[in-house]
Amino acid sequence: MAVENNNNSLFTDLALEGPTEFASALAPPAAAGHFDELRGALSSRLQTSAELPAQFQNQSQGSFPPLQPMLPLPSLGDSTALFSVGIAPLAAKAPTPVQSSASPAPLSPNWTTFFNFLGTDGFYDLNHRSANLQRQIRDNGVTYNVYADADGPQRPWSLDLFPMIVSERDWAKIEVGVAQRARLLNRVMADIYGPQTLLAKGLLPSALVHGHAGYLRAMNGYQPPGGTYLHIAAFDIVHGPDGQWSVVSQRTQAPSGLGYLLENRLTISLLFPDAFRDMKVQRLAATYRALIDGMRAASPVADGRVVLLTSGPYNETYFEHAYLARYLGLTLVEGSDLMVRNDRLFLKTLKGLEPVHGLLKRLDDEFLDPLELRSDSTLGVPGLLQVIRAGHVMVVNTPGSAFLESSALLGFLPALSRHLLGETLTLPSQATWWCGERAVMRDALSQLKHCVIKPTYPGTGVASVLGHTLNQRELDEWAGRILRRGEDFTVQAYQPLSQTPTWHGQRLEPRSAMLRVFAVADGKGNWQVLPGGLARLAGKNENIASMQHGGSSADVWVMGGANDRRATDAGNLTAPTSPAADQTAIKHTTPAAGPVFQRRPVTSRAAENLFWLGRYTERAENAVRLSRLTLQCLGGENQNSQPLLAWLTRMAVGNMLVLNTVPPATQARRVFERALIANLADTSQAASVGYNLRAVKSAASAVRERLSQDQWQMIVRTESDFFEQSHNFGPPAADHAHTATELKQGRRITDPVPEHELKVVLEHPAEYSPVEALKALVSVSGHLAAVTGAQTDRMTRDDGWRLLSAGRLIERLQMLAAALRRGFDTGAVYDEGGFAAILALFDSTITFNAQYQQRRDMTCLIELLVLDRDNPRSLGWVLQTLCGRLTKLAGLTVGGPGTSEPAVPDFLQNLPNPEGWTLAGLWPDISHLPLNEHVRQQQSEHLETVLATCTEEALELSNALSRRYFSHAASASQSLGA
Amino acid sequence: MLLHVLHETSYRYTPEVENAHHIVVLKPSSRHGQTLLRYGLDIDPAPVQLHESCDSWGNARTYFSLQAAHQRLTVVSDSLVQTSPMLPVNSVASPLWEAVREQFRYRAGVAYDSASEFLFASPYIPRDEAFVAFSRSSFLPGRPLVEAAQHLMSHIHTSMTYESESTHVNTPALEALHQGKGVCQDFAHIMVACCRAMGLPARYVSGYMLTNPPPGQPRLIGCDASHAWASVYCPGAGSIQGRWLDFDPTNNRMPGEDYVTLATGRDFLDVSPMRGVIRGGARHTLSVAVTVEPLPQPMAMAL
Repeated sequence: MAVENNNNSLFTDLALEGPTEFASALAPPAAAGHFDELRGALSSRLQTSAELPAQFQNQSQGSFPPLQPMLPLPSLGDSTALFSVGIAPLAAKAPTPVQSSASPAPLSPNWTTFFNFLGTDGFYDLNHRSANLQRQIRDNGVTYNVYADADGPQRPWSLDLFPMIVSERDWAKIEVGVAQRARLLNRVMADIYGPQTLLAKGLLPSALVHGHAGYLRAMNGYQPPGGTYLHIAAFDIVHGPDGQWSVVSQRTQAPSGLGYLLENRLTISLLFPDAFRDMKVQRLAATYRALIDGMRAASPVADGRVVLLTSGPYNETYFEHAYLARYLGLTLVEGSDLMVRNDRLFLKTLKGLEPVHGLLKRLDDEFLDPLELRSDSTLGVPGLLQVIRAGHVMVVNTPGSAFLESSALLGFLPALSRHLLGETLTLPSQATWWCGERAVMRDALSQLKHCVIKPTYPGTGVASVLGHTLNQRELDEWAGRILRRGEDFTVQAYQPLSQTPTWHGQRLEPRSAMLRVFAVADGKGNWQVLPGGLARLAGKNENIASMQHGGSSADVWVMGGANDRRATDAGNLTAPTSPAADQTAIKHTTPAAGPVFQRRPVTSRAAENLFWLGRYTERAENAVRLSRLTLQCLGGENQNSQPLLAWLTRMAVGNMLVLNTVPPATQARRVFERALIANLADTSQAASVGYNLRAVKSAASAVRERLSQDQWQMIVRTESDFFEQSHNFGPPAADHAHTATELKQGRRITDPVPEHELKVVLEHPAEYSPVEALKALVSVSGHLAAVTGAQTDRMTRDDGWRLLSAGRLIERLQMLAAALRRGFDTGAVYDEGGFAAILALFDSTITFNAQYQQRRDMTCLIELLVLDRDNPRSLGWVLQTLCGRLTKLAGLTVGGPGTSEPAVPDFLQNLPNPEGWTLAGLWPDISHLPLNEHVRQQQSEHLETVLATCTEEALELSNALSRRYFSHAASASQSLGA
Repeated sequence: MLLHVLHETSYRYTPEVENAHHIVVLKPSSRHGQTLLRYGLDIDPAPVQLHESCDSWGNARTYFSLQAAHQRLTVVSDSLVQTSPMLPVNSVASPLWEAVREQFRYRAGVAYDSASEFLFASPYIPRDEAFVAFSRSSFLPGRPLVEAAQHLMSHIHTSMTYESESTHVNTPALEALHQGKGVCQDFAHIMVACCRAMGLPARYVSGYMLTNPPPGQPRLIGCDASHAWASVYCPGAGSIQGRWLDFDPTNNRMPGEDYVTLATGRDFLDVSPMRGVIRGGARHTLSVAVTVEPLPQPMAMAL
């Protein structure tokens, strides 16, 4: 690989002594005027290509662009979105380089240690680790929905290889200052929803409270338990040129980042295990436990149920919602999963309504309750505010905190702190002027050029503007706007952000960084500051800093942890591979909570998705199995057997692997084969293998929080590998946009194939290689075995799992019954090739041969595939197991365990009961009769009736389950106004 | 004056509604110049839960929920209100409008008047330069506040056309101003918006007004409607309490004893008579009937 060769030659030529020298040589200093994190000092010089070591100069003419001085972005966190569009200046105005003959300043002690742990050899490995990082992000499905809508793309989360390091001394200041600010914000909120003395005394302008849409009058007078209005507060902080940290903005409504930063930590700590272990990086788990403890303490009921309220899979940070829910052991719910009755909040579950006492919400306030807030919100719960006011549910954070997020507030906080706490703020904020006050506005206008202009209120559509990027005319226009509507604008001092090293394939590049840190209320009246955070990095030479445009994130290593060489964060928190383990990690280490066993409820919505996950998994397996068998038979020794070909055709058409417009295999074997191959990865025309794999992923993504990381990764990989391989045996799959819509509407594809599509298949035979297709099918079959194995073996057998299992069994029942019926219809059962094919489809060839020594005898076939209660692919086993699962689900046990048989729920009454089946009953002995068509028909008559009943009842059962368990997840709410 | 108000709201749903939550603001307040003598709220079908509370401006609001399936819902409020004539207003003696605007400008540490809350944009009343432009002819330099407000009221009355069903309940003030026509709700919104555009606190009032049937004809039941107007804050001098003065731009007059105040808020959304969230009932029809009738005084004595 070119890059690695480059590296080798680079490092050899450098011939430097230690890893620190390596790092230093590979890292140009931060842009002038920025604090250089790598060197722990203000960067005063600009390294131009002339100053670079000779080796770099050569490179810079080839693969390196000349170094561009870069100025930072003023703000990343202007909305509740994590990566909001902030403005970063153009790289046009290069500061004048300060000439310096000296070599770059030495690395900071922490970075020196870091690189010493990495070692010289480690540098050769960085690109490899970087590739690992990308793969892990992809495999873990860490995403950020860029456009936050149904059909918009999901981008992989962007994470840099190197952490951002915060020294112990700096952190001590940050920790104290952030906790103080969180305490202050909580006090401000308590005053505003209480006596409002801050308004009366003129310490806070009415415009920033009453004039802010985030102030909720409906919450007036509400007092949460312990006076804790806020449980989580996030602060965006920056490291200025003078080495001082200061606050730029704060988030309280539904701050995002707590999940992403955890994922960042687990990923990065594994890539630098030695450095992470020995540098005493502070651990994160305790703070998450404090958050849970704090929520428990505030819950109106001891050991009450706390759930995480998400706005759903289309939210830009949905990954994090599911991730946090799994990590904290909370049920992930959407607004439609909840309902209000008698001033209390309930969760709709398979077992009926279950009370909910706490909500960790990831929804903006205005969407919480369509009855009292935005009436067009479909994400909230009607009546929720009433439940909160009645004191029956604790919401984190208390609705109504959004006014605290205005950057204008920063200018008032010092005085508020003196008034409310009697303290001076220890961590300063960037100097901030709210222009709603005349005198202040005049001050601000005089220095507009060196400041950032920010909107005071959210939702105005106005983005932040950096003064020094404006020309005189634009500056005048802004001044005019501010003069006219001063209260709408807040002016903030602008400082270059510190730059932290990032890895870019061949060298370390400094990138401007902003840090989001979190404080959580621990339930004992104190604030704990999470010793870490989410570093957000500006893209290189980017005009707009956002995830769409090359923005990235980094793990944050806070020095000064306990001297525990054994513990890694991953060890403390437990690896993210098992949700069960994650929960125990939280629960078992919380002595206060005691060993309370709380069975996780299954919401009706999750139940429905699990059911469909089961059905699609089985369908995918069936499609793979049948496609494989068909391709093998078409090229196998029985390829001329007409009954076999007829059976294969009917099976393929019946399962929508080929469309019924394709000529049957009995007439045109090759055309049929090509059509089958062409459809394998087609997601728009057929219920193909590809279609079903995608459906599996889609259903699984809706219940991400219930699946282990491993299981999710397998599902993702199964799908992506198959589509990758599909290029080997056919043209690239058609546009997938339809599929998503069709899946959502639950529609099956039945439209006939257009003529021209068929022509393509016929005219390009060379592209449809059965060998490659079989290879791909074998591989996907292996993957699917792992997926089904995980479903069988690695999921807690709760009611959700029972529905998943029932979904699979219903599909299997249909498939098996249909395969046998078609076997009789086409006569394939009486044909040698057909007989073998049916056994193979039922995965029973080996068993058959072992039990019956290859006797091609119908009674053997029926014993094994219909009557056998030990063969998981016999009808008897499927029916018996299905009945057992659903009986247990319905919970209708009589007497108690062991005392008597569970009663069979009514929706199972019509399902054929294998108990009464006998070989003689299903397959009467006709050895005394002449063998002819009529006698044969008589013999199979009864069995065929049973098979027909199985097919019909499978469908009926599916409908009955939907009505019984999923119906209330369906109907929609609407608002009325008169 | 003794006024009897019947306000009936009914919904019919197809298909039926599975469950519903509602908030109604239908109880007239007892405040200066107005006393509520009797009030009844009848809800059919009977709600499983109902409670009354005060919103942050002192308006009474009733929450109720229905958990059983229903195809129709009828809410009838029945109020008996004693009203009195409005105190005379000396429009010339009121403070200059610029002085009021100055008083409501924020200065750190300076005492605050709770009317400040009504200076800002609200969901149905956005801030817009169009309101500034519209108000300019009324708010001439050096004009006393009440005179300016009266001028604005007439200006709205003459330049806007009253046309029933020309707007919806959720038409924002700006849209009504642009199309130059609307109903009483729009007139009130525009007046409030214009005052706020000039930096003056103003609020929205919902209520009823007594109408007189054509001479010689009997009063028809249910032919009236709920009404809305604007209220502008006039600060008192020195220690004298400030006062909210009502203006009805629809009728170009200041409300008197023939008006019943139901509730006050920033705009319609804060005081809408009935709102709700229903599950089911994809299609529905709504009918509203209001009757305001004067009763002879002795009847009040009998109550």
